Amino acid sequence: MKVREIAASRSGDKGRVCNVCVFVYDPKDWEVLRDRLTEERVAETYAPLISGSVTRYEVPTLHGLNFVLDDALDTGVSMSLRSDPHGKSYQSLILDIDI
Amino acid sequence: MTNSISIGSGSSGSGDRLAPAVALADSGLVKYMAFDCLAERTLALAQMRRYEDDSAGYEPRLRRITERLAPFIGRGGRLIGNFGAANPDAGAREVVGALRDNGLGGTKVGIIRGDDVLKQVLQEDLELPEMCCRVSDPSLDVVSANAYIGAEPIVELLQQDVGVVVGGRLADPSLYVGPICHELGWEMDDWKRLGVATVAGHILECGMHASGANYADPPYRTVPRIHDLGFPFATISDDETIVVSKDPKAGGLVNEMTVKLQLLYEVHDPGSYLTPDVTADFSQLEARETSPDEVTVTGGSGNRRPHLLKVLVGLNRGWKVTAEVSYGGPGCVERAQLAADSFMKRLEPLSSEILETRFDMHGAGALFSTALGSTPSDVRLRVAARVATREAAEAFAEEGNFLYFDVAGGGGVTTSIARAIGVTPGFIPRESISIETEVLVP
Repeated sequence: MKVREIAASRSGDKGRVCNVCVFVYDPKDWEVLRDRLTEERVAETYAPLISGSVTRYEVPTLHGLNFVLDDALDTGVSMSLRSDPHGKSYQSLILDIDI
Repeated sequence: MTNSISIGSGSSGSGDRLAPAVALADSGLVKYMAFDCLAERTLALAQMRRYEDDSAGYEPRLRRITERLAPFIGRGGRLIGNFGAANPDAGAREVVGALRDNGLGGTKVGIIRGDDVLKQVLQEDLELPEMCCRVSDPSLDVVSANAYIGAEPIVELLQQDVGVVVGGRLADPSLYVGPICHELGWEMDDWKRLGVATVAGHILECGMHASGANYADPPYRTVPRIHDLGFPFATISDDETIVVSKDPKAGGLVNEMTVKLQLLYEVHDPGSYLTPDVTADFSQLEARETSPDEVTVTGGSGNRRPHLLKVLVGLNRGWKVTAEVSYGGPGCVERAQLAADSFMKRLEPLSSEILETRFDMHGAGALFSTALGSTPSDVRLRVAARVATREAAEAFAEEGNFLYFDVAGGGGVTTSIARAIGVTPGFIPRESISIETEVLVP
């Protein structure tokens, strides 16, 4: 099952850090998401795009996870030459992870 | 003092759509409208405009915003924004002129000064932790330094009955925290309530994010009348509940998911969201749909505000130039690669001016690199560079135009040139800056 089938996501930037948050549509899927969408799975998926670490935060009351990707945008200060320097498109990649 | 306040969002950054903001202001549903006009690099760019023209450096839409919101202000509505950018005084004068021209000569306009800390940062040689150096480092060309400032000066101005507040680098949520605390009489050291007000501000600061923007992903997520998205507004009550809704005449939607996605947008640790006003705690929030297009958020909290203020230091990094070209059909990837190689060779005479380059093939995994595989029927080659001078950028763009000719079937060439602005954070003690306010009476 892809994350996209049970959850929605959004990404944004602060300097060189990008965060991707993920929420399940139905609370009954919360434990599946929490147990299977691990820090390691996300780090592995974004490895070609980021050079820093991935930290996961849980917000059970919202049935959501927040992944903070460090050094995710070619060091924010260097004014990334990427097509998407803000990482706005990063939100769509997490939805493709098989859980 | 009232029991609740309704406040609308009118902008999430310079260049947001104005018509839906005007529609919400004119709906009669809100007493306050707040406009965030500053993304991280906006202020550094505004500062560079001000260097060239001392009367510039504020939000370019400011006159138009004031004119279009004049009927709202005339009915007693209040408008708050970080419209001042690098030049709050000139911005406020523009607002005064626009109000006068629209028959609102008696409306008071408030200015907030003091976020521009460039002089101080240069004098104290501020440390830049992410750069591992200080601002005096010879490799840096520092063009701006602005401290993120909080809601206190906004409250001070609203108490003096101003109709429009023009600030510089007011923190995004503080634009909302100010009017909420003013209307509900919440104290600026009531950390729990400042946390609640910051939750409301955070939901609204990104404009239509809470009401259907950056959301549609059919068939999983669909948005009614997406071409006509409306801005959200929130009603915050003294019992610390936040009810989020939207302009009912507009398209879009407000549901649990649109609100939740915005709650953690650009947030790192949900238990510790730092603003100049409070260390907000989003970790216990709950969001539930209480009516169609209406979501009630509870559980916001907060702890003592940080002692250090974040300063965003803007760096002039030269120029960013791009050239793009499309190829289709069999061999398109190979032809795009050949064009990239050829282009690279033609750039050799410019090599001393080129600071970095990047090649991407859109349609063949440009955004996600090797993360996803694909077999494209067409690709768009994009070549980007950061160069030292405007002249070098123009020479690069000129070579870009030759992409029409060197390899078979190259179409739709475009080039762009823009300033390359970097931003990096530093931190200064809150007591080391002095914020002042002034009320202009047209």
